[in-house]
Amino acid sequence: MAVAASARPASRGRRALYRARVLLRDPTVLLGILMCLVLLYLVIAPLISVISDAGRVQYGDEARSGQRTGSWTSYYLWRVFRSPVSHLLFWEPLWHTALVAAGVVAFALAVGGSMAWLVTRTNVPGRRFLASALVVPYMLPSWTFALAWLALFKNDRSGGQVGYLQGAGIRTPDWLAYGPLPIVVTLGLHYYPFVLLLFGNALRRIDSQLEDSARILGAGGRTVLRRVTLPLMMPALSSAVLLVLGRVLGTFGTPYILGLPSDYNVLSTSLYRAIRDRSTGVASTLAGVIVLVGVLVVLIDTRLVREQRRFVTVGGKGAMDRRGDLRRWRWPACALAMAVFAASVVAPVATLLLSTVTKTPGVFSFDNFTLKYWFGSHIPGAVGFPHGVLRGGELWEAAWNSLRIVGLASLVCGLLGLLIGYVVVRGDGTRVSMFLRQVSFLPYLVPGIAFAAACLSLFAVRRGPVPALYGTVTLLVLVLVITHLPYSSRSGISAMMQLGREPEEAAQISGARWPVRMLRIIIPIQRGALVTGVVLPFVSGLKELSIVIMLTTSGTQLLTTLSIGLVDYGYTQLANGVVLVIALLSFTMTYLAQRLTRSSLASGIGG
Amino acid sequence: MPAITLSGVVKNYAGGHAAVKDLDLTVPDGSFTCLLGPSGCGKTTTLRMIAGLEQPTRGEITVGDRVLDSVERGVYVPPEKRAMGLVFQNYALWPHLTVRGNTEFGLRMRKVPAAERAARAKEALEKVHVADCMDRYPSQLSGGQQQRVALARMLAVDPDVLLLDEPLSNLDARLRLEMRAELKRIHEETGATIVFVTHDQMEAMTMATHIAVMSGGELQQVAPPMEMYARPANRFVAEFVGSPPMNIVPAAGPEPGGLAGSLLRFAGKRGDMGAPGCAGVRPEALRLAREAGAVPDAAWSEDAVVETVLPTGASWTVELRVLGTRMFAITHDDPEAGPGDTLRCWTRPENLHLFAEDGTRTTAWDESVAPVSGAAS
Repeated sequence: MAVAASARPASRGRRALYRARVLLRDPTVLLGILMCLVLLYLVIAPLISVISDAGRVQYGDEARSGQRTGSWTSYYLWRVFRSPVSHLLFWEPLWHTALVAAGVVAFALAVGGSMAWLVTRTNVPGRRFLASALVVPYMLPSWTFALAWLALFKNDRSGGQVGYLQGAGIRTPDWLAYGPLPIVVTLGLHYYPFVLLLFGNALRRIDSQLEDSARILGAGGRTVLRRVTLPLMMPALSSAVLLVLGRVLGTFGTPYILGLPSDYNVLSTSLYRAIRDRSTGVASTLAGVIVLVGVLVVLIDTRLVREQRRFVTVGGKGAMDRRGDLRRWRWPACALAMAVFAASVVAPVATLLLSTVTKTPGVFSFDNFTLKYWFGSHIPGAVGFPHGVLRGGELWEAAWNSLRIVGLASLVCGLLGLLIGYVVVRGDGTRVSMFLRQVSFLPYLVPGIAFAAACLSLFAVRRGPVPALYGTVTLLVLVLVITHLPYSSRSGISAMMQLGREPEEAAQISGARWPVRMLRIIIPIQRGALVTGVVLPFVSGLKELSIVIMLTTSGTQLLTTLSIGLVDYGYTQLANGVVLVIALLSFTMTYLAQRLTRSSLASGIGG
Repeated sequence: MPAITLSGVVKNYAGGHAAVKDLDLTVPDGSFTCLLGPSGCGKTTTLRMIAGLEQPTRGEITVGDRVLDSVERGVYVPPEKRAMGLVFQNYALWPHLTVRGNTEFGLRMRKVPAAERAARAKEALEKVHVADCMDRYPSQLSGGQQQRVALARMLAVDPDVLLLDEPLSNLDARLRLEMRAELKRIHEETGATIVFVTHDQMEAMTMATHIAVMSGGELQQVAPPMEMYARPANRFVAEFVGSPPMNIVPAAGPEPGGLAGSLLRFAGKRGDMGAPGCAGVRPEALRLAREAGAVPDAAWSEDAVVETVLPTGASWTVELRVLGTRMFAITHDDPEAGPGDTLRCWTRPENLHLFAEDGTRTTAWDESVAPVSGAAS
């Protein structure tokens, strides 16, 4: 009977029928297609929209471009790249961005690299404490450092209160108060933990047998370092460099706070300015350039990471803690590391804290101290926020908004990430799987501020059945979900990879239908991964500024945007107070998250 | 208990890789059939197609008279409706459920009432001797216990067809031996049709009632173990089944010299030998004698120089050089020889296997003469 059937020539229709039956029985495929559509809409469409905005005449530019609204034009390209103002709009910020990025990378490498070496490969006193203490700067919002810098070095060139030094009568030159030097130092202090974590992880994972083999073959300590250890570290090192580079490219808060007073613009602040000035075409072009550079950076990174994987397989069995003896350099090394900790955590936090309880900076007489910036009911001269940070509704409302919006976004993100992981692993090798894997990672390539511009371009106006979302919670949630999707989807994919398909297949063989398999097997097993996929975006979303700065309105004020608003008004103490609240919240949440998920920050940074 | 029939089954993966090429295979009902082959030969793919976890590109799979897959007729039964059991290589126990939870899952899916569920789960766990771990989680079990629970989980639903995907490969040698006996016993007790995938020919030989050898996505031979051992259908099977593998002596050209020439001339003496591509002798069929006079009259024999002697305790494996070609012999008596010594090696004509150039078995003489298996010779 069976033989007779197979001998019959198979019709195309029957085969299609067979395939259709298989597909219908396996919801992975339908789910995969659904996910693809969602990602197309949320990730690809905004990027297309922003690029098309850069090539079409925007409302209000008809006269200048000499064309009608909506028609194709190269006007914005000309304006950004070739016009008389292109210097101010693009070339100078580009040069500044490159300068700052190079400076930050060098700073982060020097500090992060040496600290990584100290805490992983030497017997420096207080290793354990240092290993976690030196990561703290990453848990603070990046522009905490910028505000602390101003509190110390600000001079009377711009409005608002001056810094401690100026207050104490020491005149701080402009180059020390604003511009590239402070930007590089403050960003460097925030980003060196990246290098510390990635480089330290690689150092820890290196197989000591590899070094031993070189020793047995007669290589001295220095030769081993030069010929074996460092070459093995190269991928991790370059990965860290590119990661920092990508972040610096999209960072907004620090260059805004420290660059604005001296008109020092980088690409992200130039983009912000263009959006605020409602020159959508120029903003879109700038966003396009940032996207392009970001993509380039990460393409190089993935290349190197691929190589790194090849290297990592070498490690494993022999990997263990092996520490060199620093001998008489032990205590000096410890002092150095402590100094880094002091400069990157203690000093900024103490400065900010001090600034919120003093009336005039730099004066340490008793009557200069006050708690009114925290609890006062009336602060003369402060229009729009005439009371202490903890008084009135503003802070609480912003905090509630932050928790609510970021929380919702993280929940969506975590679930979406796990589903993507499920589809990617179940359909391993198929086109849907590959597409999802890559597109869910795409936002990682795009600096946050450029993605926000892209989303603004797509969702700000009514398109078809989707109403205009500008100023709504929905838009904020959407953008936060998209920009944090790479973390969640990666955590989802790796969790599902680790689990493999067998547990679900075993349930399938046992007679469980798809919904039962999901609810009884997959989700219970992946509880932990789901928590990680929610918590990581939550922690990073709380201190997010670059992404949300262009999207919030007075109704959707978040903690971060509230603080920047106060900076704009020149209410130094109040702004510093809010930042301290964010720093405290962010630090506590990160700490709790680490305890809760037992995940290391490094996995969060690596994406 | 049903027979499983695969007819004209083809499986191509995306990218054009053909995992299974036109497979026609019948697994007799109630048999313990081993799919044996090197890794990548398509045996696991075949098993997964029977389970419904993979779909054939062409062909038909039936169990008893129930069509499970027929690409040509558009019939597809999803895995959850096939009512089979499948034990995975890595066990795939659900880490969030206890042993009890794992074992009862299938019964729960079949809406078996709670009391009966508990009883049947207990019975299944008792069958594999892990009933005392009922309330533990898989992570608290040893590898051997996990393996048993994985088996109990599938036995609990009492399937007619039980599929096993290299279930013993992650166990240590002693446990593996124990589980082989256990599986054989379970097969006799339940009477289920068992399909067992392995790349270990020893496992296949010791447990199976039938062995199906696969290579490169194609079926090489299906036969009961001893029959396959005595009459391998082709050179691949001859070399794959048996450990250490059969000594294969390729013949270069139509008038080969050396050892190949000696063996073929001997075979040719006894009749029409055709044009074999190589001759083979199993190591245990290659006997050693101290002098030529001790060799039986009808046997083939040549001088052999001992290269190394490897005692295993129960036997000795002797590496020989015979007319310039390396051969292995296994002897159960102390060869009492060392490297450089010359012995006389011999074998009976029925232990000589001849394979044509394309690898298929050619018969040099009447095979109705019962071949003498290694141990008996």
